[in-house]
Amino acid sequence: MAEKYVAIVESNDNVATALRDIEGRESIELVVNDQTMNIDITEDIGFGHKFAIQPIDNGETVRKYGKSIGNATEDIDPGDRIHVHNVESNYGRGDLADDNQVQAVSE
Amino acid sequence: MSEQFLGYERDDDSIGIRNHTVIISTAPYANDTVKRAADIVENTIPITHPLGRCQTKPDVFQTYRTLLGYATHPNTYGAVVVAHAGEIVDGDELAEDIRDTGRPGESINVHRQKGAMNALTATVNAAQEMVRDASKQKRVPADMSNLTFGINCATSDTTSGLCQHKATANAAWRLITDHGGRGCFAETPEFFGGEGELSERAVNDNVRDEILERVEHWDERLQATGYDVRGAQPTPDNMDGGLTTIEEKSLGALVKSGDGPIEDIIDYGSKIPDNSGMYIMDTPGHGAESVTGIGAGGAHFMIISTGQGHTLSNAVMPTIKITGNPNSAERVPGQTDVDVSESLVGDEDFDWATDQLWSEIIDVVSGKLTMSEAVGESQFAIHRIGPST
Repeated sequence: MAEKYVAIVESNDNVATALRDIEGRESIELVVNDQTMNIDITEDIGFGHKFAIQPIDNGETVRKYGKSIGNATEDIDPGDRIHVHNVESNYGRGDLADDNQVQAVSE
Repeated sequence: MSEQFLGYERDDDSIGIRNHTVIISTAPYANDTVKRAADIVENTIPITHPLGRCQTKPDVFQTYRTLLGYATHPNTYGAVVVAHAGEIVDGDELAEDIRDTGRPGESINVHRQKGAMNALTATVNAAQEMVRDASKQKRVPADMSNLTFGINCATSDTTSGLCQHKATANAAWRLITDHGGRGCFAETPEFFGGEGELSERAVNDNVRDEILERVEHWDERLQATGYDVRGAQPTPDNMDGGLTTIEEKSLGALVKSGDGPIEDIIDYGSKIPDNSGMYIMDTPGHGAESVTGIGAGGAHFMIISTGQGHTLSNAVMPTIKITGNPNSAERVPGQTDVDVSESLVGDEDFDWATDQLWSEIIDVVSGKLTMSEAVGESQFAIHRIGPST
């Protein structure tokens, strides 16, 4: 039976949001575009956190709300947790600015 | 038939949902006088801040219009202004601008009073008379079209964009389309990643271009720091709640604005226009600063749509906190005015969630105290642009 406590916002998203604590090694049944799929969760996913529902290559766009929420920083398998350890932003990246003339203050 | 509420009539034709007497400092050196006077005189609100002196002009204008916004807010009956000496944010000028709206406005100056203790007495005397006059005013029936709805997020998490922001947007658009009111949201850096679709909602090309320019300006400001903004946006508590990047936070945050047309994008702390519709105020995503800005713009009340729960609130503009995260509603019940989590993890739908929020709004605009009002919780933080000098 399709899992009720998982949210996929748009049909072209490659991530889903857990609305309950999901344990690693659970198998989750999801319905996307009327297609039923089974995702084997690879690690614990806390309430509100995300996991991949498709393979995402290193550098590929991670999509939620049908839009980019950043790029993968490693190869990600379906069922893997998605968070700051494997996705980076494309905004506010002063650390990557080419013409950065600012003398960074010490941390 | 339009719903009505009970409000306070003002000489400038606005209608308040509260009848506050505020005591306003124009500089840090008058802050203690203001706080002490507000401790003594019942039913007064102290407004203090670290600005108003040794600022460059863009900040002077921003500080002045923010303070004036609170002194002449629809929910404000009158104001006592306390200055220290001669500041570039001028207390006498502020009091005159307050009186121009028909509100009582008094100006006290610590130097003219020959010291802070004398100034305290003068401030107490002025405020004492003002709150007694304010207490005579009665609420009268008024049309909902008079109302302006503020919208802000607070400690967003992944539930925000999936649930509570939908109810917030639906309630805001109910006020605009069914009643002819206004709405205002803000937090420009929290448009990152969603600015394309947002800008297409603008009523004309000028507003569309202005939205895109202001978003780009914020990205440039953040890049100029030389650091990755992650940690400031999203914040550590956002990330604990599952938000991974500013883009993900933004795409969720924009859900609270719905999908209707955007009338204009206005400067920080400036007055929200009278014409019915949805407006954007250009503010940072820092909640205390964005809420302070929207309050200065004259929003009567604000919906704080929160994921993880938050104390974020404002003394002049009542804040109604809504969450759809069942764990947050359970963890911070004293900071949860409306819990709509049953529409996320239970059997209710978003129409139910919208009705729950709307019902609370109807009560609050006619006088019901919010959670934060009941315990006197509030923050005040004016966004600053440039350096002190």
